[in-house]
Amino acid sequence: MNTPLLALEQLTVRYGGITALRTISLQVQSGELVALLGANGAGKSTTLRAISQLVPAASGSIRWHGGTINGLAPERTVKLGISHCPEGRRVLARQSVVDNLELGAWLRRDQAGVRSDLERCYGLFPRLAERREQLAGSLSGGEQQMLAIARSLMARPTLLMLDEPSLGLAPKLVAEVMEALQALHRDGLTMLLVEQNANAALAIADRAYVLVSGSIEQQGSAAALRHDERIKAAYLGP
Amino acid sequence: MTTDLTQLLLNGLSIGAVYALFALGYTLVFSVLGVINFAHGAVFTLGAYFTFLLIGGSVGANGLLAGFQLPFAMPFWWALPLAGMAAAAVALVIERIAFRPLRDRGADPLLALITSLGAGVVLVNLIQLLVGAESYAIPTTALADLPPAIKLLGAQVRTVQLLLLLVAAVLLVILSLWIDGSRSGKALRAVAEDPTTAQLLGIPSARMIQIAFGLSGFLAGIAGGLVGLSVSIAGPYFGIGYGLKGLGVLVLGGLGSVPGAVLGGLIIGLAEACVPAELSGYRDVVAYGFLFVVLLVRPQGLLGRVMPTKV
Ligand SMILES: Nc1ncnc2c1ncn2[C@@H]1O[C@H](COP(=O)(O)OP(=O)(O)OP(=O)(O)O)[C@@H](O)[C@H]1O
Ligand SMILES: [Mg+2]
Repeated sequence: MNTPLLALEQLTVRYGGITALRTISLQVQSGELVALLGANGAGKSTTLRAISQLVPAASGSIRWHGGTINGLAPERTVKLGISHCPEGRRVLARQSVVDNLELGAWLRRDQAGVRSDLERCYGLFPRLAERREQLAGSLSGGEQQMLAIARSLMARPTLLMLDEPSLGLAPKLVAEVMEALQALHRDGLTMLLVEQNANAALAIADRAYVLVSGSIEQQGSAAALRHDERIKAAYLGP
Repeated sequence: MTTDLTQLLLNGLSIGAVYALFALGYTLVFSVLGVINFAHGAVFTLGAYFTFLLIGGSVGANGLLAGFQLPFAMPFWWALPLAGMAAAAVALVIERIAFRPLRDRGADPLLALITSLGAGVVLVNLIQLLVGAESYAIPTTALADLPPAIKLLGAQVRTVQLLLLLVAAVLLVILSLWIDGSRSGKALRAVAEDPTTAQLLGIPSARMIQIAFGLSGFLAGIAGGLVGLSVSIAGPYFGIGYGLKGLGVLVLGGLGSVPGAVLGGLIIGLAEACVPAELSGYRDVVAYGFLFVVLLVRPQGLLGRVMPTKV
């Protein structure tokens, strides 16, 4: 097997005395859409935060193209091609939609490429195009989520990590966001998708991992997990 | 317009512009870190002494540097920006020793109030140790080619004051344009609003914080040099009064608001200028009384947002 794009090996993360992740291992191959499922407090966000170096690893390694990236400054991981769309949207409320998007391309110097990516984002989320000059804080929750995703895309990442993009959205919007993610996946973008909405995530993912209190309890192809009795009981509706 | 009124307006505006520069320096740091840099007044003071030395001034008899004079002297127009840059360098050192260690350890940002106050006290004492406590005047001959007063709207006004107003206005405009319109200004605002998200966009927060400190030090240094020229350097402590006034202006305009800092500065400056000369001892009462009343009515300041609770 070739080197995975991203590999977590025996990763442990602690917050003070609390162990949030206990020796977890996980791989993402180039071009894959991998879902990371789990209940509240399972350690899903912590996994993404560890990858983008917002929290340090207590032990274990985080490998990117095979090389360890532990201890890098968070902004350097962006440079490597890792784009982390954080939990709870976190748009820059006091700046306009277009400024948010342009800040997403902060590290890029190819003006023409940035322009065309802006248009691509507007194509993906037409609601943003209509509101480009509006302050991000005045967008609806769903629009803010779209903006956050679009902003992460503006870095033109190799790996896009999304933390619960469906959280707090009406079913129709969840479908809209998932469709957009699916379209990006079809275009070849590699994604690590954190979700509590296992139904929605498994519908578009290639593979999935299930975190339970900081450990990986199950993993496998999305198709297999969709029919797994334990998953059905814990996360999927009847 | 009558002579008196012109003079009064100009007095008010020029001192107000200095307060605005001051408040803007606080604002830059406050907006990215959420704390007041209490060493800011000392940086202002240093800017004035740097200017004095750079134009060829020599140190008096009372400090360790008694009689010291730089081997060269330069015109005021060179000395002022250089002094601003030297002050910026000092501000960067303050960031390095009084702010960054706390941030690296994840300490409560409010602790930086104490460490920066400490840094300010050390600087002021260092100045006293080196050059003594006497006052120094930056001779207006530093502006050799300019007349000491010119006629404006039928009144004789001091050139120095006009300069002060002009330089401050230019700096304020440039800075506002930079913050609102430039790529790096927007990145600075992103760090101010949400440092973690800014990092996830690849914006180097630590770097932007340094830029904010450097700029605020530059503004303070320039303001110090201009005030030194306008009213002389009254001793190592002379920045403190301005520093407190700058804080008042900051609160009056609205914490973290750039236009607020400018508006607040001009208002306080004008309010002070309206105090008749024979009551000049009560100037501060007027300034702070005004502040008090505004805050009763608008606790968030004139142009401030209602403060979000820090999470
Ligand atoms: N900053 C922190 N300090 C201390 N403990 C934390 C911190 N952040 C998370 N934790 C703890 O670590 C564990 C994992 O949290 P994490 O946010 O990764 O969960 P999650 O799977 O993303 O949950 P959710 O679905 O609710 O977002 C939880 O027990 C949480 O309380
Ligand atoms: Mg989470």
